[in-house]
Amino acid sequence: MRLDGVMRLLEARQRLLSQAECEALAARARQAAVGGGKTSVNVDSWWAGALRWGRNRVRLASDRRDVSISVVRAIHEHAAGRASTNQIDDVSLVNLVRAAERDARLFGVRALPEDLPLHAPWFTFPATRIWSDATYDLTAEERGAAARALLEPARAAGMQSAGFLEVRAREWGGFPDGGQPCYARQTLAQCSMTVRDPEETGSGWAGATSFDWRAIDTQALAKRALEKCLASRHPVALEPGRYTVVLEPQAVYDLVVRITWSREEAEHGRGPFVAGADGALGIVRTKLGLKVVDERITISHDPADPELGVMPFTHETGEPVRPVTWVDHGVPTMLSDRREYALTTRTDNLGTPDSRSFRMSGGTTTVDEMVASTKRGLLVTRFSNVNVLDRSTLMATGLTRDGVWLIENGKITKAVKNFRFTESPLFVLNQVEQLGPPVPVFGLPGAPAIVPPLKVRDFSFTSLADAV
Amino acid sequence: MPISRRDFLKASALVAAIPAGTHPLLARFGRAGDPVPALADPALEELAGRALDAAHSAGATYADVRLTRTMSRIVRPRAVGDQEQLAVGVRALADGYWGFASGPVWSADEMARLGAEAVHEARVNAIGGAAVTELAPAAAVPKGHWVMPVEIDPFAVSPLEIADYLQSLAIFTARIPHAEVWSNQCAFTMQEKVYASTVGSYCTQRTYLSQGELVLQVRKNDRVTRLAVDLLSPAGVGWELYRHQPLHEAIRRTVAEAEEDLSLPVKPVDVGRYDAVFSAPDVANLLHQTLAPATQLDRALGEEANAGGTSYLNRPFEMLGQYQVGASALTVTGNRSERGGCATVQWDDDGVAPEEFTLVKDGVLVDFQTTRESAAWMKDYYAKIGKPVRSHGCASAESAIDAPLQTTPNLVMHPGREALDFDALVSGLEQGIAVKGAQLNMDFQHLNGLGAGGRVYEVKRGKRVAMIAGAGFLFRAPELWKGLRAVGGRASVRRVGMASMKGEPGQQSVASVTAPPTVFAQLTVIDPLRRA
Repeated sequence: MRLDGVMRLLEARQRLLSQAECEALAARARQAAVGGGKTSVNVDSWWAGALRWGRNRVRLASDRRDVSISVVRAIHEHAAGRASTNQIDDVSLVNLVRAAERDARLFGVRALPEDLPLHAPWFTFPATRIWSDATYDLTAEERGAAARALLEPARAAGMQSAGFLEVRAREWGGFPDGGQPCYARQTLAQCSMTVRDPEETGSGWAGATSFDWRAIDTQALAKRALEKCLASRHPVALEPGRYTVVLEPQAVYDLVVRITWSREEAEHGRGPFVAGADGALGIVRTKLGLKVVDERITISHDPADPELGVMPFTHETGEPVRPVTWVDHGVPTMLSDRREYALTTRTDNLGTPDSRSFRMSGGTTTVDEMVASTKRGLLVTRFSNVNVLDRSTLMATGLTRDGVWLIENGKITKAVKNFRFTESPLFVLNQVEQLGPPVPVFGLPGAPAIVPPLKVRDFSFTSLADAV
Repeated sequence: MPISRRDFLKASALVAAIPAGTHPLLARFGRAGDPVPALADPALEELAGRALDAAHSAGATYADVRLTRTMSRIVRPRAVGDQEQLAVGVRALADGYWGFASGPVWSADEMARLGAEAVHEARVNAIGGAAVTELAPAAAVPKGHWVMPVEIDPFAVSPLEIADYLQSLAIFTARIPHAEVWSNQCAFTMQEKVYASTVGSYCTQRTYLSQGELVLQVRKNDRVTRLAVDLLSPAGVGWELYRHQPLHEAIRRTVAEAEEDLSLPVKPVDVGRYDAVFSAPDVANLLHQTLAPATQLDRALGEEANAGGTSYLNRPFEMLGQYQVGASALTVTGNRSERGGCATVQWDDDGVAPEEFTLVKDGVLVDFQTTRESAAWMKDYYAKIGKPVRSHGCASAESAIDAPLQTTPNLVMHPGREALDFDALVSGLEQGIAVKGAQLNMDFQHLNGLGAGGRVYEVKRGKRVAMIAGAGFLFRAPELWKGLRAVGGRASVRRVGMASMKGEPGQQSVASVTAPPTVFAQLTVIDPLRRA
């Protein structure tokens, strides 16, 4: 019984631990505990099959996997320790539990709330669509064939292509002592590529992520990256300044994903959602309930959204992910709490989803229609190297990348050199002229986002960046 | 009774002495009592050999295998976290293409599976026609063992002792008027690695990386500032990072510096062009964000185009020996041998013993960072200048779970001849600014940069007379380095450990950068928060 699960991990075909195997591991770790108290165990295993290419040649094809077991030993309420390993034999497990117990005893102080096992009532996890056999079963041969199809159009056109294709699967099992166990498996597929011209004057990019490999249209990606590259060649330099911009969904995502919704920050008088101090009550008022962006903007997350599949519970802590609406028609209605802060202030706010996974409302104007209605402006593919410079306004800097074009009298007239921008996503969402239909963008693996294109006025480009 | 890490290590060492049986390895999941062998154990060589044999029989023309054991520990005054990972990764070249397979299991069967899988990956992905992948010649290392010399193995010290020491620093700081500790933690990593290849190399090494974060908060006259104690940047050392460095003196000096800052008047930004003195760590950061990535040959040729980007040195073979990357005062060398360097190793992940090499000589680009594969791309240039084709030993990976990439070695910018330090450079400036601790935002060719944050001072007649609130600066890397006016002397250099990400999937690597303080001519000073 004990050998069953772990030996099967050795087999090439089974790359993840099952729920029963994780439970057995948790039970073994608990048996190793000495000194009473509670032993909570998390088990995480993953596999990834990937293929990377550069200069029209596959550079590396790989098959990787790993596992991680972490133990939190709470000997009493005021002493908890944690340790982790990727070895699941008896000796390693015993040593792991001892290490956590040693830390609990040595540092016999108040345990961090995140280390305390949850004593919440039993809950139901949302049903989320996050597993695809097509992703998990995509063989090395099939990955190779996909890459061939991705590479070929660029090479045939005399361009240089570089890219990355990865299918990945993970399971995560959380076994809090006395709490509700949780276990889920998730697949992730991602594909992105960059096509450049040999003279180094143009660069085009396209990318897609999904839990389901079948949702990734490789032909469309290859075509788009190549077209962007060809059209972005020999750009002209334009003066920096304020421009009306048509932001493709990826560019909108690259800005909006910088918005974090931390209540702790706001209540401590920091971050973008501080309305001001209330002297009479001695508290800091947040901007909850105040209109902060255009009323056509709603940003939300629903774990049951078939396009927004995320793990049904929060990482490490295992609370069910709840649907939230961060911004409802321009008004923030919700701020997130990290677990430690939630436990000390409001436990009803546990389980807020990762703010980097969201659905943003849109409209019906297509990118082409936005271009057609623009007298003078710029079309932006995406932003890169974005850094927030000021937390209180979310003023950020970064660069346009992989294609910027000048729009004159409703037509794209020429490719333009890249710009550095100085802009805040909150300002951008206040200067919206038109919104398009939301589509999935290239997000962080496991944190999908559905984002519309936007036409925005007065976007601030502060300097020219002659990098390609 | 709790078992300390010291006991744990002792226990492992004892069990390791038991003769190897049929299942010599701990990592054969589910079996009790099989310890991780010591690095010198012949069982490891046998295990590595299994992987190579499997790759060879599957048709690899070249293969290498790495087994890594990585231990890391984070200590705060009241908490400690431990992590341990065993990994094995096999890389194989078949039909001119690379395949890689890795996992957490150290067993004979798993070695065989990974060896065959790596070749399978290479074969099915042989796309782009029959390819020739040439590797620069490298001498085999038949039996090499190396341990990074550290004074105190951090894993042989009780974490309680480390935590108590951190506490003591907080207590020491609290006794200084106006000062308290804002954040206080340290992290240690030890990695043991076995490397073997089909060219007959077998070597083992143990390396360390230690780092600390000690940020002080100083209040004076209703103003608050936070400064980090500067001696704790990542380094290839042990617990001596704390115990053998004058930290009390550094804390006093940092508080004094913060108080001096708080006593200066604050001015708004006056946009314009100014001569600028940069502190040694700031110059190291500029190097780290411009020339360090830009002189990676794979990046310069476009291999990283879909990840972090390419390089402004984008015509590498035309630029070599010709291109002026900076003023003649700029000479930059790379090495993986300096004592205490973050990237210091005896052999890289190609099995090459790295040598010291010059990237920029008197302002001219003369070489690139290379691995065995990318060194072979340089053969025409090396033939022209009469140098042998040899890798600079820049292959590395975070652990055996990841395939090796070309990563930055330790970099050293040569100091100037005159014995100038930061303050001396400031005194030499009639009018301008001085910069400490700026954060940089670069583009994807490491060409255009924006600096913001940190502390920017107004300098008048050789003195720092005010702090400029919210000042930033814009630069283009070649113009910046060509504007090098003065360079600090040997005693003024500082070494800083710098982390960077590269590749897909992304991997982090850490390298030391050593640089003197410098003066740059006519830097463009801006208000980075001001919209167009």
